[in-house]
Amino acid sequence: MTLVGERRRAADVAVRRPKTAVHLGDGRAAFRYLLPAGVLLLAVLAYPLYQLVQISLYEYNQPQASGAAPLRFLGLDNYAELVADPKFWDVLAATVVFAAVCVIGSLVVGTALAVVASRARPVPRMLLFLAALGAWATPAMAGSYVWLFLFDADLGLVNEVLSGIGFSGMEGHAWLYDRYSTFAVVAAEIIWCSFPFVMVTMYAGIKGIPAEVVDAAQLDGASWWRIATRIILPMLRPLIVIATIQSIIWDFKVFTQIYVMTNGGGVAGRNLVLNVYAYQKAFAGEEYGMGAAIGVVMTVLLLMITVLYLRAQRKAGWAP
Amino acid sequence: MAILQSPAGKKTAWTLVDIFVIVYALFPVLWILSLSLKSSETLADKSFFPTDISFEHYETIFSADVSLFIRPLINSIGISVIATLIAVVLGTMAAYAIARLEFPGKRALVGVSLLIAMFPQISLISPLFEMERALGLFDTWPGLILPFVTFALPLAIYTLSAFFREIPWELEKAAKMDGATPGQAFRKVIAPLAAPGVFTTAILVFIFCWNDFLFAISLTSTENARTVPAALAFFTGASQFETPTGSLSAAAVIITIPIIVFVLFFQRRIVAGLTSGAVKG
Repeated sequence: MTLVGERRRAADVAVRRPKTAVHLGDGRAAFRYLLPAGVLLLAVLAYPLYQLVQISLYEYNQPQASGAAPLRFLGLDNYAELVADPKFWDVLAATVVFAAVCVIGSLVVGTALAVVASRARPVPRMLLFLAALGAWATPAMAGSYVWLFLFDADLGLVNEVLSGIGFSGMEGHAWLYDRYSTFAVVAAEIIWCSFPFVMVTMYAGIKGIPAEVVDAAQLDGASWWRIATRIILPMLRPLIVIATIQSIIWDFKVFTQIYVMTNGGGVAGRNLVLNVYAYQKAFAGEEYGMGAAIGVVMTVLLLMITVLYLRAQRKAGWAP
Repeated sequence: MAILQSPAGKKTAWTLVDIFVIVYALFPVLWILSLSLKSSETLADKSFFPTDISFEHYETIFSADVSLFIRPLINSIGISVIATLIAVVLGTMAAYAIARLEFPGKRALVGVSLLIAMFPQISLISPLFEMERALGLFDTWPGLILPFVTFALPLAIYTLSAFFREIPWELEKAAKMDGATPGQAFRKVIAPLAAPGVFTTAILVFIFCWNDFLFAISLTSTENARTVPAALAFFTGASQFETPTGSLSAAAVIITIPIIVFVLFFQRRIVAGLTSGAVKG
């Protein structure tokens, strides 16, 4: 597949190379094709981004927004206040741990299922993919309610099943009263809707491993475990890196599930993650300046992860 | 472990794994379907299957004030469809340039579009809110369509350029040599080859818009532009402290089932789109 692609590209280049004039024309045409997308991105992304950084440098609360008090330039004071606030570090730590659990969960479940799918016969394999895509396609909002109701103390099936199989103490157990079990329920929902991406990616990777390699190892008497750890995993490494970083980026940005399932961050904000924290500061707390500062911090963190992602992709040869 | 040694045991083990996975993936969706079909009296009976099928919750949400569910549903459909069309058109133009033309800064452009796809949308909520209020776009269809298109564009460009790179563009030249006009060459040769990629991208973008909750709650305030995910937050129970479980389930089913059916119907294309390095959003 790649070979054909290479050859095709080589042929393409060979056709175009002789005339530099064509290149100049290319540039002008490219500008025309890219202009509409570029204008939109500048207006709806670049300009607000510039404003975000600006707002983060001011004292900008409700009085200033309604014009009752003058704007006051603070410089980096919002950031200094943020760094000095133990709540921020608590939320940041919660975000990192929570995202890590979700990422590891999606990777383990997704990869395991990709292996299962690659060994299954066509019909069960199709069923596996259909079920996974069903979970993937469920809107986050609907998924959040489904899982909320599943773990509901009164009408939830989870308690019913648990007490049914002998954990009688679980009847009427309130999962969403405890900080950690609340996070766990939300993580279960997130893993549920994000493992399909990992599964599909890994499945494509496993299918790309030449059968002869595995056959040869089997002939040499390698155990299934050895084949998995010494041949399949190393060959899948670039894809695993991509799926990992992609999952980090998603799970770091979780908003809907936390917002809906913990009712805006839980009692006293104990289930806040950075994304919801920024939202609460800016909208509910009406501290727009501080909300913007959190936004800038988040953007910087995500950009750093994204740069890692781009490098991983280039290494895997996936970048266009 | 012993069970895994014999071929028959192996087969049973794999079948069990299969069944477990399918249950894990499908069970929650089936359960909310069942919940939505229970009557108010049997809602908390904890049985997996509804004892008597009742459509009362569907009737409730459709017979209530239009602003509760019907209007948001129309908004959701309209806004998502328009945003998808615009994003696909702009994305196709940009992706064509990236796949077909040589120009300086091409590599950087792809990197930038990925950076945007990864961008935390939450950061832009406050500035966008201010901007839309100043421009009179707050709580209007364009007020949601603009951010949807913006954040879906990188996804569209990225997926489309991955597809476009695989198109044998020499065929266009060959068709022209055989006497086809540029228009014919495009319509008869290139368009059919590009269609699957464009279509897949449209599905991914539509799902992104349909699922959005963050923009929908921040940039709308009335039924004028409120979409279903945001509207669900305004469902109320019989009392303030009661969750309107039945209506929420029915509404969740209505926004979920069409998407799932759609995705299952086009599953091959979506899998291709996802593995082209696309992102969900």
